[in-house]
Amino acid sequence: MHPSLALSRSFFAAVIVASGALAFLAGCKPKSGDTSASGGKSRTTIQNKGSDTMVNVAQVWAEDYKKLHPHVDVEVSGGGSGVGLAALTKGTIDLANASRDMKAEEKALAKKNTGKEPKEFVVGFDALAVYVHKDNPITEINHAQLTDIFAEGGKITKWSELGVKVPAAHDLIIRVSRQSSSGTYEFFREHVLSKKDFKLGSRDMNGSKEVVELVATTSGAIGYSGLGYNEPGKVKMLKVSPKAGEPAIAPSVATTLSKQYPIARPLLIYTLGEPTGELKNYIDWILTDAGQKVVEKSGYVPLRAGTPKP
Amino acid sequence: MNALPASSRFTETPAVRRKLRQEALAKWIFCAMAAAMVVPLLLIVGYLVVRAAPSLNLEFLLEVPKRGMTEGGIWPALIGTLYLVFISLAVSAPIGILAAVYLNEYARDNWFNRVINLAVINLAGVPSIVHALFGLGAFVYAARFGYSIISASLTLAIMTLPVIIASTREALASVPRSFREACWNVGATRWQTIKAIVLPNSISGILTGVILQVSRAAGETAPVMFTGVVFFKSVERGDLLPYYLNEQCMALSMHLYTISTQVPGVQPSIPFATAVVLLALVVIVNATAISLRVYLRSRKKW
Repeated sequence: MHPSLALSRSFFAAVIVASGALAFLAGCKPKSGDTSASGGKSRTTIQNKGSDTMVNVAQVWAEDYKKLHPHVDVEVSGGGSGVGLAALTKGTIDLANASRDMKAEEKALAKKNTGKEPKEFVVGFDALAVYVHKDNPITEINHAQLTDIFAEGGKITKWSELGVKVPAAHDLIIRVSRQSSSGTYEFFREHVLSKKDFKLGSRDMNGSKEVVELVATTSGAIGYSGLGYNEPGKVKMLKVSPKAGEPAIAPSVATTLSKQYPIARPLLIYTLGEPTGELKNYIDWILTDAGQKVVEKSGYVPLRAGTPKP
Repeated sequence: MNALPASSRFTETPAVRRKLRQEALAKWIFCAMAAAMVVPLLLIVGYLVVRAAPSLNLEFLLEVPKRGMTEGGIWPALIGTLYLVFISLAVSAPIGILAAVYLNEYARDNWFNRVINLAVINLAGVPSIVHALFGLGAFVYAARFGYSIISASLTLAIMTLPVIIASTREALASVPRSFREACWNVGATRWQTIKAIVLPNSISGILTGVILQVSRAAGETAPVMFTGVVFFKSVERGDLLPYYLNEQCMALSMHLYTISTQVPGVQPSIPFATAVVLLALVVIVNATAISLRVYLRSRKKW
């Protein structure tokens, strides 16, 4: 026989064996799940998607919850509040993380597609901090100035117009913003820009962390991102006053809980209908002190003041 | 032969000297350009390995990410990438190879086959983000696979299919036509010819084409991010079969993206070490492809 013919025969045999092994692997998987260290309970998977602001908290929740309940796997992904809520309205995920309210049309769509009413849980709070480069001498800013810097038609384009002399002669304000599917973007637009559009020409970053990183390396930059993304020593958080003339409030856990700090928002989880079974257990656990400690550790604001310090 | 020194064989006129100078210059310019290709590669690999050094050990491969993905290893992402690559190629390789055999061995030049050809060429040019959206619409929503390893693998399979078809056709076309004619002349059918002559003689090229798609499937982020790869999933350390096929998984490319853009306070060496592992995976696969080809070539009979 031709040697390479024999070779090709053995090759095709190998392919058949390999695909058989693959089918075996796929078929066997559920059994190995049942016999894993779950104490006889069947394995459950919870799909969780949404806000980039909440993705790090959600990840630690999943990590910690797995230690307590090994038979529950929580799959966490980001993409933005809009992405998570869109997936929820199509019924493809169990939990949507959102750092903005679900819009009425999204709720209607969810009802139409799945027949279930989305249910909202407040799981913590986030304060949006305004970040500038560490060498920028500015220490506080008011609501109207922020609108003038970021909103379309706003007058302020130079640091000197805010009465600030920036080192390195970068007088032009470099605006750092977020991509439009982000809940942070929506929240800032609604609550700081009074629903006006953003000025064109901002740097739109894909993640909360990237905003802080760009600001840290750009001396003329100003950006907004979650309180939890602060990198002390690289960037500076500005005190914000709700109106010119009123005292400026430093962003912190305490000022968010007392509702003094003006740019704060709830962190939300949406389910389709009333959660049951493992899903309910998971949400209940998030609301306990153990789950809230994760919120605080990640730099956000837990639901109750006086949550025991880690 | 008369052993005159080279310099005295010809008379060196100024024109000859100028010609030789230009020749030397041209050679050096071309050589420098070729060498410049190597520089970025060495810089990238060198920089990555140096920055990654504190994390590069077996423990990093086997351990799961810890403390909000700021510490620990990459096991769930590594195994997830292997799942995606193997399942996607298990789907796309048989379909791609059989389609290429049809196109190269059976297809006549008529409108139907021209349409197929056009489709293959165009599919190869579709950007990966468009494949991602297609996968989301077709597999996640329409076929109701949900966000899952199946959806992500099928999306990758569709993405790698046209390249597998193209490389397989090329391998088949490199088998001389006279081989086939000799076979037909003794009364063999086309299928007998394919089985006995064409495939055995083109198997090295076919395999190389398929294996090279491993690196593409392992490196893509967009198609899997839309269809079945998550930011985080908790998995046991060193678990070889951590995922059901209808669940989502982690993957190296996506993990690299998220820990470098989304997670604050990651140990600085971890993103670099993840990149090194991804790079090493691709290099190992490519080296396998090359050695396989060299081995099979050495058995070629013409």
